[in-house]
Amino acid sequence: MVFLTLSCWIRNRGPDRYWKVQEVLSNARHFRGRKNRCYSLAVRAVRRAFVYATKARKIKRRNMRTLWISRIAAASREHGMKYPALMHNLVKSSVEVNRRVLSDLAITEPKSFLSLAKLARAGQQEGFGAALGDGKEPPGVFSRIVTLQ
Amino acid sequence: MSSFTKSAQQWATFARSWYLIDARMQPPGKIATMCAIRLQGKHKPIYHALSDVGDHVVVMNSRHIAFSGNKWEQKMYSSHTQYPGGFKQVTATQLHLKDPKAIVKLAVYGMLPRNLSRRTMMQRLHLFPEDDLPEDILLNLTEELPQPREIPRRLNEYSQEEREAFPTLWTP
Repeated sequence: MVFLTLSCWIRNRGPDRYWKVQEVLSNARHFRGRKNRCYSLAVRAVRRAFVYATKARKIKRRNMRTLWISRIAAASREHGMKYPALMHNLVKSSVEVNRRVLSDLAITEPKSFLSLAKLARAGQQEGFGAALGDGKEPPGVFSRIVTLQ
Repeated sequence: MSSFTKSAQQWATFARSWYLIDARMQPPGKIATMCAIRLQGKHKPIYHALSDVGDHVVVMNSRHIAFSGNKWEQKMYSSHTQYPGGFKQVTATQLHLKDPKAIVKLAVYGMLPRNLSRRTMMQRLHLFPEDDLPEDILLNLTEELPQPREIPRRLNEYSQEEREAFPTLWTP
């Protein structure tokens, strides 16, 4: 037997429990209730929070896109067009501006957005004319056979 | 407008406007959609749910709204007093007679997003049964919105020339 006296039987447990606990609690300080103070409750809450944060990285991209779309819809309604009509006619006119840039233009460059809306409106009127008219090409247009690659 | 100072530009961008809607002979649902869009701020390109960009909306003549179809008799508004046997159902007519602002208010309440900002947005909605608005609200109004529905005219509101000019299928 190695430990011959009582004092040698005492184990020295890990010296850094405080810092391991603080590592978890520091992520929980802004929570509500005892989850921000008590380690056992905080561990579960912090794990859930990290899982939500991981999942939210994909959801953030979806939310940003819906926000851009609602902003573009608001701006286009200010100019008398609706969002689906605007996007369809911009695509038809081969203007490949994405929704992020369009929403930024709508906020900071209103005149550029107005010009894009007018372009889309012209394309829309041309589409109406082609659908409802008599099949003749409108004057001044020399080729409508331009497609996106 | 771009030659103004940045602070003046920001103040003008985020200022809260007051819109006026006349609900005479209009369907309350269409009035409510217009109100809900402007209360949330979805008519602005700077919209964000957390930014509190909604405007004030004043609806006048809410006593003279016009439901289409048989909704005055068939549309039911339900509520419960939380006591047993306290389920109440009233028709649109009965509710309108009891409180002329309730139909538009409930319609707008149901069209707003179900979050904590809904109550704040409802506080920014001002309903008046007739067209006499108080002084302080009249001073705040910035824009009147066009009515969603064109009011049809009765036969006696057409002039004799218009009646004669209307195309007929056959002459007796």
